[in-house]
Amino acid sequence: MQLLEKVTKTEFLGREFLAWLWFRAETDQGVYDLPEGGKADLWLDGRITLQGENERGVETITCTGEAQNMKEARFALAESKGITQAMVKLGIGDNQWSFILDSTWMNFRTFKTPRVMQDKKDDPDGVFYEKMFLIEEAVAAMDEIYAYFVKLRFSPEWNDRELPALKKWIGEGR
Amino acid sequence: MGLISGSGSFTRYMVEGDLENNFMETLSERISPYLFRNLDENSLEGRSMGWVNIMDMFDNRFSGLEFLKEPYIAMTLRIDERKVPPTALTQHCLEAENRIKEAENLDFLSRTRRSEIKEAVNMRLLKRAIPVARTYDMIWNYSTSFVLFGGVNNKLCDEFAKLFLQTFDFHLQAVCPYTLGSRFLKKEGASPELLDELTPSDFAEEK
Repeated sequence: MQLLEKVTKTEFLGREFLAWLWFRAETDQGVYDLPEGGKADLWLDGRITLQGENERGVETITCTGEAQNMKEARFALAESKGITQAMVKLGIGDNQWSFILDSTWMNFRTFKTPRVMQDKKDDPDGVFYEKMFLIEEAVAAMDEIYAYFVKLRFSPEWNDRELPALKKWIGEGR
Repeated sequence: MGLISGSGSFTRYMVEGDLENNFMETLSERISPYLFRNLDENSLEGRSMGWVNIMDMFDNRFSGLEFLKEPYIAMTLRIDERKVPPTALTQHCLEAENRIKEAENLDFLSRTRRSEIKEAVNMRLLKRAIPVARTYDMIWNYSTSFVLFGGVNNKLCDEFAKLFLQTFDFHLQAVCPYTLGSRFLKKEGASPELLDELTPSDFAEEK
């Protein structure tokens, strides 16, 4: 199989990852251990985009709202639509990041880091290094959480416990 | 506003291959042909693209090796474009066509002639158009092989990957669930081929 074919064939993994993140956050399991110590608290906030295909073609739904109990979005998940983008909030220690995570390329949109303390005029390189530290801290945490998801997805625990619980949670949103 | 100076969107890549021992010493030489050059006001060039200093979009000289911020190679991709607004082009073409029809006593102009007029008008107006500059930060952490690029548009990302290859002679692999997943499986000592066998989970609850 060529790389492009493999990438296309496993696109669903990104959509499942976003659905799983939402489920975990909504069921008090949205805190993840980080390898260098500390914890990452992750929740979905304000905006979820779902996409699915039916006889009429590709259908996209964007749900926005303060409350995460967005019934429409959960209903759409049960109707075989997948989450393609979600607004994510990530907290590590006292710091908080926000971004829209995309399921296809796992790219980060409207990425906001905590405030940089260094002054650009006094120390431009200091600003660069501080900003990069903040970007990489969030990206590394997201990679760790994704790695945890991939590990879980390949374990027997996925079918035995995680997937039934996720399905139940989706069903409760109907 | 770029990634470093504000907030923004970015795509991630992994660099394929290892750096040669003397790679760092060759950086200036590699970057130099692809530095950003201003559009010449007297030329008919519509677009210019190249690298500038990540902390100053007007610096395209890197006299102090400003691209090297260990363990990063950091630059900004600057794209200047000047375009004639479509409405203005249509209006000026119509005016030119009418003038020619009157001068040559013609009722209509052939498609070829109209296309020639359009090209000539576009060239004339292009000289008066003000270039618009867009910037996208690029940060390559060469200790982890990850690259961040401050753009998410597919066409732009393709252009960036091409320029990266021309500049550094390295192909970029876009990060996606597959490439990231296979990297983790390898790290765990498992085969990345496992991903090929995976099928989507059914989220619909059994009734």
